[in-house]
Amino acid sequence: MLTIIYLFLSIESVPLNMLRAIKDFEYFAPSTLSEAISLLGHYKHNAKIFAGGTDLLIGMKKRDVNPQVLIDIKNISKLDYIRYKRSEGLKIGALATHSSIANSPIISEKYKLLKQASLSVGSLQTRNRGTMVGNICNASPSADTLPALIALNAKLKVFNIEGKKIVNIEEFIKGPFRNILKENEIISEIQIPKLPPLSSGVYLNLSKITKEDETLVGVAVVGSMENMENRICKNVRIGLGSVSPIPMRATKAEKYLTRGKMEDASFELAAEIASTECSPRSRAEYRREMVKILVKRSLTLVLDSILCSR
Amino acid sequence: MDTYSKVGKSIKRIDIYEKVFGTAKYVDDIKIEGLLYGKIKRSSYSHARIIHIDTSRAEKLKGVIAVVAGKEFAENFDDPLFGNPLSDQPFLASKKVRYIGEPIAVVAAVSQEIAEEAIELIKVDYEQITPSINIKDSLRNETTLIHENLNNYKCLPGFHPINKSNICHHISIENGNTEQGFQESDLVFEDVFTHQSTQHVPIECHGAIAQFNPNGNIQLWTSDQAPYGVRKLIADALKMPESKVRITNATYVGGGFGGKLNLSGLMAIIPIAWKIRYRPVKILLNREEEFIGVTRRHGSIVKLKTGVKNDGTILSRSAEVLLDTGAYADLGPTVLIKAAFGCIGPYKVPNIKVDASCVYTNKSIASAYRGYGVPQVCWAYESQMDIIANKLGIDPLEIRLKNIVEEGYITPTEKQKVHAVGLGECLTKVSEKLSRKKIDKNIKNKKRGFGIACSYKTSKTPSGASAFIKLNFDGGVDIFVSSVEIGQGLNTVLAQIAAEELTTPFDNIRVLSADTEITPFFPATTASRSTFFAGNAVRMAAKDIVEQLFKLASEILNIKKEALALKNGAIFNKDSFDKKITITDLLEQTYPGGNSILGRGTYYHYKEGNIPSHIKLESPPLLVWMYGAQSVEVEVDTETGRITILQVLAASDVGKSINPISCEGQTEGGVLQAIGNTLYEELIYDEKGKIMNTSLLDYKIPSALDMPEINSILVENPHKEGPYGAKGLGETVVLPTAAAIGNALYDAIGVRIKDLPITPDKILRALKEKKK
Amino acid sequence: MFTLGEFMKHLIKLKINEKNYEFRIEPNILLLDLIREQAGLTGTKRGCDTGECGACTVLINGVPVNSCLVLAIETDGKEITTIEGLSNNGKIYSIQEAFVEEGAVQCGFCTPGMILSSKALLDNNPNPTEEEIKKAIAGNLCRCTGYSKIIKAIMSAARKMRGE
Repeated sequence: MLTIIYLFLSIESVPLNMLRAIKDFEYFAPSTLSEAISLLGHYKHNAKIFAGGTDLLIGMKKRDVNPQVLIDIKNISKLDYIRYKRSEGLKIGALATHSSIANSPIISEKYKLLKQASLSVGSLQTRNRGTMVGNICNASPSADTLPALIALNAKLKVFNIEGKKIVNIEEFIKGPFRNILKENEIISEIQIPKLPPLSSGVYLNLSKITKEDETLVGVAVVGSMENMENRICKNVRIGLGSVSPIPMRATKAEKYLTRGKMEDASFELAAEIASTECSPRSRAEYRREMVKILVKRSLTLVLDSILCSR
Repeated sequence: MDTYSKVGKSIKRIDIYEKVFGTAKYVDDIKIEGLLYGKIKRSSYSHARIIHIDTSRAEKLKGVIAVVAGKEFAENFDDPLFGNPLSDQPFLASKKVRYIGEPIAVVAAVSQEIAEEAIELIKVDYEQITPSINIKDSLRNETTLIHENLNNYKCLPGFHPINKSNICHHISIENGNTEQGFQESDLVFEDVFTHQSTQHVPIECHGAIAQFNPNGNIQLWTSDQAPYGVRKLIADALKMPESKVRITNATYVGGGFGGKLNLSGLMAIIPIAWKIRYRPVKILLNREEEFIGVTRRHGSIVKLKTGVKNDGTILSRSAEVLLDTGAYADLGPTVLIKAAFGCIGPYKVPNIKVDASCVYTNKSIASAYRGYGVPQVCWAYESQMDIIANKLGIDPLEIRLKNIVEEGYITPTEKQKVHAVGLGECLTKVSEKLSRKKIDKNIKNKKRGFGIACSYKTSKTPSGASAFIKLNFDGGVDIFVSSVEIGQGLNTVLAQIAAEELTTPFDNIRVLSADTEITPFFPATTASRSTFFAGNAVRMAAKDIVEQLFKLASEILNIKKEALALKNGAIFNKDSFDKKITITDLLEQTYPGGNSILGRGTYYHYKEGNIPSHIKLESPPLLVWMYGAQSVEVEVDTETGRITILQVLAASDVGKSINPISCEGQTEGGVLQAIGNTLYEELIYDEKGKIMNTSLLDYKIPSALDMPEINSILVENPHKEGPYGAKGLGETVVLPTAAAIGNALYDAIGVRIKDLPITPDKILRALKEKKK
Repeated sequence: MFTLGEFMKHLIKLKINEKNYEFRIEPNILLLDLIREQAGLTGTKRGCDTGECGACTVLINGVPVNSCLVLAIETDGKEITTIEGLSNNGKIYSIQEAFVEEGAVQCGFCTPGMILSSKALLDNNPNPTEEEIKKAIAGNLCRCTGYSKIIKAIMSAARKMRGE
């Protein structure tokens, strides 16, 4: 009896990525940050910080992450805040949810792009639970918050058992779904510098398929103008999301725009440059084209917004 | 003009209070003593021989009650295979696996957690075989047969699997002379259209409970559209009398759309229930399994060649239809029938030729999905209709009106007379009523377009239904029928029919959920047939009760039966109005100790060429013909390729709208589902046959934000056999949408997409090509 | 220091539909399962387990969340509202009545979650626009109705609640 095609004998492999009941774990709900840090220091890689849980619990159901300990920080009321001081800028605590950020009057007024980015995350139910800090730590290539924070030149306050340090948002992401936090570290706050006069920021995105969906291309632009008469671009930061392994800055486009006149023709060329800087994997042709379209549209909106602010 | 008291009114649904209060019970809400939890172990390869399965470690896990693999079950039941019309499917794969996700073993444990853990402990050795992932592979690759010997399978007469091939059914239809027709045509068009494979995505996942009993009976609690169909499949495969298999349907099904049919994805529950003997076991699929482990819509390739005269008259049409049916035939062959017979469209075409094949591939099983083969062919023929219209410079509405069938026309494919054709009215109404919204002239990159399309579908005969009604002493009524409330509003329609005939107050009517031990036969709640067949059966049963009541009343009132009438629960003399008796009084006086009045109705219909010789038909054989048309306005952003549907107008010839608000609801829901299938949805397979998007995160169905304005028009062209003239609606509303959108897109930006789904990437690419 | 395998049961005290409950549970129990199994309230449905469909929506202190992505243990001291909690003493709640009047229900599986999201919206925004309604229910997927009558029902309920 001939075996027709004998390729190779395969032992059960390629497991189907099935959702499962969550494994047992030990649960702590500290009420102070120092308690949380001490627990982290004790359990190290066996523990995960649990805030909104919208990414973490899915990861645990898929058995992608299997923490033996969850440290629920939601009882640390001191971490739930959104504070603005004209001299210092904006400070967002680790427990601020996407919903609270989207509904914050001060963010709506001064940092609208953060509201736009937050509203793009998941569904309402997800936004009511998920935190911006959690979203950053998840480090998804298609995260909406990261390009916006990059454009805003945000910093993160990181605590560990030794003390605290400030980390630049651009250094924070190591790779897709990987950040630089060590196993005993926790972010307590996002710090966003005050914006110069004659500046504005915008976040635009296109979803993958339906309206409320993962982001296919995300563009965040924060730009400032020298003065209303010469319309010279004093400074611009362009954050791009979902078009490279980690959210990135379109530095070449930024360089081209800075010191130049803020107008249609330069926006067109800057958009063109930005689209060459990214490296999307799937739907690459379409994504590059959309970077171009969205960067141009964002720059135009920023200019309009600055002009209207008089 | 008939005036009815309940029929034709938008009466509150009979199940709506339960559903808004959250007390409506679905299969996962059923509580049974001693219930175990089952989990299916699935194949990791799309085509492989099973060399060895080791379940020993799983069996030893604490909390595991039973484990069964395919071989054991096959040996015990003499290699049982199920499937209608072709029995090619094992309950669990034992020798070979044919798609990734195919069930090969099942574990039953005291908790879901333990069952899930146990399947990880089952080890399988495979020997891989080259898979055929798409239709072209399967047709080319004759050496790697998915089913080595199709002749070995039991097959119903009239179905033609081609042995030693990957074709499980083939249909050839010819009428007239297409070649001559093409020669006589002024222009001949030849186009190929493809339709992707999509998933039903009901919000309720598939689930069932099964139990083998010591007396040799099997009981299942299901969430299924065809309880009697499930029963027959199981009984036939296990070679036992049907009556020993009891299917009790949950009160409500959380969305079916053709996907919860014949225990789709859950037949593996039979082996595990058998192995356990005799505790009940539940299998509830999770959302991932809803993508890999249940039936899907057939992907298709349709090649359409049409010859026309310069004035737009169609002379000749030939079609080649290929359906990708996945690893097992399931209902594929009958889907092929609807696609093959329907691919000419609702048009008068003297010369036709159809060559249609249902092709196996090493992917999950394709079967019934709202439309049943017609969405795929309608996408082709209605897109091509506009291609023709544009080329000839004829208005799209005009060219359709010129060619559509009319009452009494004998169709070239079905070769039956069409009846109750409201198509012209549907087309005209959607074309004239759609208002074109003004566009802001400053937005340069937004372009708007308008498109129409129409469709038809038949509901198969011979077919029928039986119902019985129990009239209680208080005048309340219980309806026994095995059609299933899957959300379409069927139970309400049946209650309305009973209320109309019996004048019972609506809130004292109950429609029992299907239970094969209690409710009489109904083949399946599919094919938009339930209102027609179940409705007729219920109406007959109700009339039977009225007949019995009149007989009793005529004796008490001393009036001839023929002179009696029934209104508001009272029987009276319709000539003089002097004598009267309420139903409740009549019953009390006739049966002082109490009794039920039982009414029964059987409605069965044949089609031409299929009538048993001893049957005397009361009226000529008919099919149920259902027609519809839609118009769509779209807006395209030419920079991003994003298409926004602005408004849809959907006209359906329902014969008679028994519950208008339900008909509207079906229209709105169906159109949005069709929009999803046109723009957003696609099961994406890799080269190994694995589905890449197995969650709602990357298989997107429309949310409220994606909803356009959808308006429905109900055209009432009564069907002489339908209850009060009613036909069906459920599928009509999903058929023309894709082509209407494609045609609107062409109108907006001059780009013709022939491969679904229509995506921004494709639109942008086509725009670029056009510029060159 | 903990020993692997010895996972503690925690005592939680919470309100579900204004009724006091006490449970001794393990930390890995989902709120969805606590509601359906331990509290026996099966109106809240399981649809996808990943927070995509909204069928499991409940209110925690008035805020709509997907209970399939909430651990039961976090709800200690909180107030949960499920669909069963809306009809007070058998009297139908305004949004439920509106869904009935407008025919905004077909298979009914998404309905409990949909009604709770609607309640959260109208409790905070008594006069929403159609766009605001769509945004509020975008996380509640429905495959049957096309959302049209659901939106009508929410508009109608809002009008009634405003006394119009």
